[in-house]
Amino acid sequence: MQVGMRQWLCAGLAALAFVFTMPAFAADASSGQDQAARQQSQPGNNAPVWRDVRSGDNKYQTTQVRGVESSVLMQPEGETWRQVRNNLVTIYGGWLLVAIMAIIGGFYYWKGPIKLHEKPTGRQLLRFGSWDRMVHWGAAISFILLSVTGTIILFGKHIVLPVVGFTLFSWLATLSKYIHNFVGPVFAFCVVLMFVTFVKDNFPKAHDLKWLAKFGGLVSGEHVPSGRFNAGEKVWFWLGVTLLGLVVSVTGFILNFPNFEQGRELMQIANVIHAISAVLFLTMGLSHIYLGTVGVEGAYDAMRTGYVDETWAKEHHEYWYRDAVAQQKSGGGATNPAAASSMKEGWKQ
Amino acid sequence: MARMKFLCDAERCIECNGCVTACKNEHEVPWGVNRRRVVTLNDGLPGEKSISVACMHCSDAPCMAVCPVDCFYKTSEGVVLHDKDLCIGCGYCFYACPFGAPQFPQDGAFGMRGKMDKCTFCAGGPEADNSPEEFKKYGRNRLSEGKLPACAEMCSTKALLGGDADVVADIYRNRVLKRGKGAEVWGWGTAYGKPEKGATPPAGAKS
Repeated sequence: MQVGMRQWLCAGLAALAFVFTMPAFAADASSGQDQAARQQSQPGNNAPVWRDVRSGDNKYQTTQVRGVESSVLMQPEGETWRQVRNNLVTIYGGWLLVAIMAIIGGFYYWKGPIKLHEKPTGRQLLRFGSWDRMVHWGAAISFILLSVTGTIILFGKHIVLPVVGFTLFSWLATLSKYIHNFVGPVFAFCVVLMFVTFVKDNFPKAHDLKWLAKFGGLVSGEHVPSGRFNAGEKVWFWLGVTLLGLVVSVTGFILNFPNFEQGRELMQIANVIHAISAVLFLTMGLSHIYLGTVGVEGAYDAMRTGYVDETWAKEHHEYWYRDAVAQQKSGGGATNPAAASSMKEGWKQ
Repeated sequence: MARMKFLCDAERCIECNGCVTACKNEHEVPWGVNRRRVVTLNDGLPGEKSISVACMHCSDAPCMAVCPVDCFYKTSEGVVLHDKDLCIGCGYCFYACPFGAPQFPQDGAFGMRGKMDKCTFCAGGPEADNSPEEFKKYGRNRLSEGKLPACAEMCSTKALLGGDADVVADIYRNRVLKRGKGAEVWGWGTAYGKPEKGATPPAGAKS
């Protein structure tokens, strides 16, 4: 009787053990069970544990230290981020900026500024109302601040630090960080205002294709008519201000607010996208700044005072000029705010 | 001169967090900053392993490579240190570090980062050895007193070893031979697998 009892007990335990060890051999066994099984088949073989450390997705991984991803032992993505940032972004991005500055400088040396062909009439047309200019300069000033500070943070170590030394550069970089962090959201806000303010005159038209095909006559000097904004400005509006503006804003917000406890991988990706799009943004921005200041005679005055000469309007934005003059003559019912404002203010003689 | 390294024996670590406490006490580290932490893998399962991790003082340190103000430097003993007077608190070293070593005390709203703090291998900072300024910014400088890191000294099972890499490796090799298992030296491939960078080892240095 006693022997029989013990036999049954042993058989029962064996069956239980079998049932409990079965899931360990199942294909979808979790990593923790993987190691448990390995402990039985090969005691002392910790390979599954070390695989888990690498992959970092062991759900039984714990620590008593509080913090973002404090239970992650190792994150190999950091090395990838380092290589992409230090090599791809810094080296190629840096040379791209040098190249665009060389192209702009070369163009200025070769062609000089684009001057008016005919004499100015002295009659002024209102091109940008005060709201337009306020939004533009809000975005422009914050863009320049962000460009300078961002450039110092990304490239300063290689070009400024060797010149000014560690202490001074650290001050400069600290200042850059604060300016970048606080002006960033202002710029994001301005990007939204820019879009709302200027979108109506930036929809592509058929004549834009002709403008693009001839590159606006920038090289040939040929006259290519355009609306209130030419195709180049429209490309800058859609690809630059809207697309890149949105991308740098979103990625910037991810990097600017670590208090939401986002992980390192997200911030690494955001940082790389932010840096690449910022370099492209600056490349386009430099071209825009050149054409808006020294590159085109009279262009800067348009954004500074809001007014352009009739000759300038005719030679640079002929369709807009015709519309503005036609609306001026028909007297009222103007839909174009620029034209409407010009009626209010009248010709400046 | 020796090359300093940390080694954590996962077969011995019992997750007592003595090293974490020793570190916090020795350096009077502020709240929210943890230079060292113990991570347990497969917690509560057969084959559970714990590892104590801090800055490993890498041979080709990613933090040094990505720092935008170049505030890191390496001692002749291979210890990676940084200058808090130069640090701008950008967080890039935290993105790059494989071990999650750099810590940032919050300095201002929206989680704005203050100056980075990390394990110094108990070697202080650029200030004069054992000066009050050095202690305030970086904690105790034990290496200058001929002592090893407090965490390793305090370890109850001698799982965490810190010191001359050759000596540490020798101790570990003997352990592995005696017990016949647990030969994996955690983190050494990542930390010390690449050629040394950033330090100027004195002539005749072995490792």
